[in-house]
Order: sequence, then C-alpha cells, then structure tokens
Amino acid sequence: MHKGKQGIIIRKEAFELEMGQPVIEFDGVTKTYQKGMHALNDVNIKIHKGEFVFVVGRSGAGKSTFIKLIMREETPNTGDIYVNGYNLSKMRRRDIPYFRRSMGIVFQDFRLIPTMNVFDNVAFSLRVVGASNREIKRRVAQVLSMVDLGSRARAYPRELSGGEQQRVGLARALINNPALIIADEPTGNVDPNMSYEIVELLTEINRRGTTVVMVTHEHQLVRDFNRRVIMLENGRVVADNLEGAME
Amino acid sequence: MRSFRYLVKEGFKNVWSNRLMSVASIGVLVAVMVLIGAAILLSVNVDMMLNTLQEQNVVMVYTVDKATEAQAREAFSKVQKISNVASAEFVTQEDGVKSLINDMGDQYKELFEFVDDGDQKGSWLPFGMRVSFKDLKKFDETISEIKKIENIDHVNDQRELTAKIVNIRNLVNSAGLIIIGLLFITALVIIANTIKITMHTRKLEISIMKAVGATNHFIRTPFVIEGILLGLISAIISTLATYGLYTVVANKVTSMSVSVVPFMSVLWIVIGVFLVLGVITGCIGSIISIGKYLRKEGSEFRAF
Repeated sequence: MHKGKQGIIIRKEAFELEMGQPVIEFDGVTKTYQKGMHALNDVNIKIHKGEFVFVVGRSGAGKSTFIKLIMREETPNTGDIYVNGYNLSKMRRRDIPYFRRSMGIVFQDFRLIPTMNVFDNVAFSLRVVGASNREIKRRVAQVLSMVDLGSRARAYPRELSGGEQQRVGLARALINNPALIIADEPTGNVDPNMSYEIVELLTEINRRGTTVVMVTHEHQLVRDFNRRVIMLENGRVVADNLEGAME
Repeated sequence: MRSFRYLVKEGFKNVWSNRLMSVASIGVLVAVMVLIGAAILLSVNVDMMLNTLQEQNVVMVYTVDKATEAQAREAFSKVQKISNVASAEFVTQEDGVKSLINDMGDQYKELFEFVDDGDQKGSWLPFGMRVSFKDLKKFDETISEIKKIENIDHVNDQRELTAKIVNIRNLVNSAGLIIIGLLFITALVIIANTIKITMHTRKLEISIMKAVGATNHFIRTPFVIEGILLGLISAIISTLATYGLYTVVANKVTSMSVSVVPFMSVLWIVIGVFLVLGVITGCIGSIISIGKYLRKEGSEFRAF
C-alpha cells in the first residue's frame, strides 16, 4: 500500500497495468444464478485504457450482472475477470475496498445522501479513503467546477434538478481520480437534454484519459455519440462494434 | 487519525439523528443498570451486616461449676493468650446474674436471690468469659483450644446464626449474578437492535461507502462509537438514578435503626460496573449487528 497523488491510500498494484493489458478483461466468463438461468454465458470482452464503451441490451440481457462482476460484487462461475490489473477471481475479500477505490461509479438513481449537501456528498468518497480536510476542500472545489456545480456546493440534493444531481454523482465518482468510470444508466432519471450533457461530460472525462464504461438502453444516445458498443442479449455478446472505438 | 476524528463525529451524529431510538434504548439500559446497581448494593449491604455480626460474634466461655474465682481467672488468662483471641472479658458470677435478670426480666430477681448462697450473688452460676476472635476461619480450632484449658466447661457460640447469614449472603450473591447476567444479555439485545435500526436508516450511506471503497472497519466504527456512547450516557444516568433511589431507601431503612452502607463508599464500584457494562454492551451489541449487516445486506449496495 502507498499514498497516491492525493494522499489517498491505494494498493500499489492498482494502477500498474502492464503494457497493452486491458483495463477490463472478461475471459470466458459465465455467471449462473441459483435458478439455473445464465445471466452471462461465455463472455469474452477486452476494454483498453482510454476507451469509451457503451454496453447496451434489453432488460435481463445481463447488463446488471456485467457491472456487478466488474465491481466484484459477484464472482463468475467460470472464467476470469481482470479489472485495473486485479484478478477478481483470486481477490481476497479484504482487498475489495482498495480495488473499488481504483474506479468511480455513477448510479442511475444518483444515490446522493439527502442529509448531506453537495460538498459533503462529493467529499464523502475522499473521507472514506482518509484524505486530509485541506485535500478534500481542494479536490471537491476542483471537481465541482469540472461538472459546473461550483456555485451549488452548499445546496442539498432536494434543491437540485435531476441533471444537477447526476452531475454531483459524477463529481463523486471522479473525486478519487479513478482510472475507470462505470456509469450504470446515468441518464435513466434525467430529461433528454440533460442526458446529452451527462454523456458529453463523460466524453470529456474520457478525453483526459479515463476509461469509461456506460450501460444504457437509450439507442439514440448511443448512435449520436458513435463509440464502441457492446450489445448483450440473453447473457451473450451479440455485437461488439469495435470500429466505434477507433474514432 | 483524521478518519478516526471524522468517524467519532459520525458516531455522535448517529445518536442525535436517531434520538428517539437513542432515548428509548438509554431508558431501557438505565432500567437494566439500576437493577444491576440494586443487586450490587443489596449484596454489599448483606455483606456488611454479616461482617458486623461477625465482628460482634462473641462466644461465651463458661468454667466448670466447682471452679473458684482464682481458678477461673487463671483459665481466663490462658484464654487471653490464645493467638486468635481478639478480645476477652471476664464475667463474674455477680455480673452473670445481672445479665440474666437483664435478659429475663425483674420478676426473676427474687428467685435468683433465693438460690443465692448468702451474700455471694450468683454463686450458683459458673464464671464466664466473653471472647471474640480475630479470624473466624479458625473458629473451630480456637474453640477446641479453649476447651482444652483446665476448668473450662463449655462454650456457647452462634455458629448456626452465622451459618444462616452466610447462606443468605451466598444466595443473594448468586441470585445477583444470575440477574446481572440476564440483564446484561437484555442490554446487549437492546443496543444491538438500536444499532440495527440506525444501520437501516443509513442503508444508503453504507451502500455508497461500500461502492466507493470504504473498508468494513471504516463503516463499522461510527456504529460502535454510537453503541459505546449510548452505554456511557446510560451509565452516567444510572449512577445518578441509583444514588437517588438508594438515598431514599437508605433513609427509610435507617429510620428503622438498621445501618446501611453509605452510597459514597461504593460509588466507584457502582460507576465502574456501569461504565464497563455500558462500554462492553455498546461495543459488543453494535459489532454483532453491524457484522451481520455487513455480511448480508451491506454487500448488496446497488439498486438494479
């Protein structure tokens, strides 16, 4: 373990990907739940550093399982998963928190704490990793201005629009300067105009080098942004538009 | 350290934001602790009574009837020399009669004078000695040592009474321990439930904590601090409540000419027991519920 750039405690190996090693790799992954249903069936995916990937599919296609596996909330029945240089199949339970610090997550329902203002909601992620108050102030101000919410730091979630709340969620995901952002239907609860703004923000974050994986079912949005699209159906990858990633 | 300060603050916040539940659990904990306090105080008082009785535990040693005063006094000096004898007092025949009249009533005075041999009052009585012991454990040995002395006839002791009181004390102590044990478990359940409720109200926070990489230790600490805090507050209130109740009861009992142990002399025992109990129940109670929670619900942090 060592202290990262922001005095944040991370595991040394977290960001040390070998040359050419994917940020996310699913190698023959099958996940079956108790009912015997294949949530994912022999999935092989490689997502490299700096990519922006949309994961699409109908309800029940396996998108949720895909994210649960990436976050090491579930483990596969067969196959291996590598994320940010960690082999999730061999990961010890006590290493999971440190692994999760290497990524940021954006939720569909924002998941902001209603009793905390914007500043504290964003600072929360830094407190968890033991950052100093000075560091927290500096980083939160920086990230809030990045998502254009610098003036709303003292506002409470209930005083914000859906789009603004999602930007707070995004700021929280970014605060630890993660190598990977997982966005789970981030536009699901915001109006269409705001959806574009959110994805543009994610694109901007991606332009700065962060890998972004966004799960969505909004096909129009996917078409308009023209990125790599992985399509899941009945737990299998039925399309992987790698060309999008090349642009 | 930075994190710890933050987590302590969060623990205090938990107690406050969950104040209704906190007040309820403090209330029940205080009741439990006051009962425990009552058990302790009862035990301490029975102990004191026993000690007082033991201190007053005077055995009467009598000489044989035919012993002269000189022989009796010689025996008395031998009794005094026994190492376990704390004090000894010679009782003349005259004092013996006085004591009998005192115990039995003036109506027997004439009868006693009638059996007297001339002017020598109580000549029909043996000489006596009031003897108390240093170490009651050596009671039997000391009695047999006394009995070996020449001209000593018999010894009247209060062993039965002492034994009864010892039995009562043992009963009070073991009943007290059982009650304390049961109440301790009750206190644990109460704290565990309160913490569980706090955790449910902070479910969202915990789920986000897990998602952003908080360790279980980080998640657990505020709840443990909340539990300890509830225990400590209860301990302080319980000490005051026990003091108040004891003072009222002690005043009533003292007015019946029974002496009780002053509260101040057991204050530190009571505070100590309450604090230890509060901290331990708070700590264990919260660890039990958070542990269960983190294993089960805590891991399902995403709302798909």
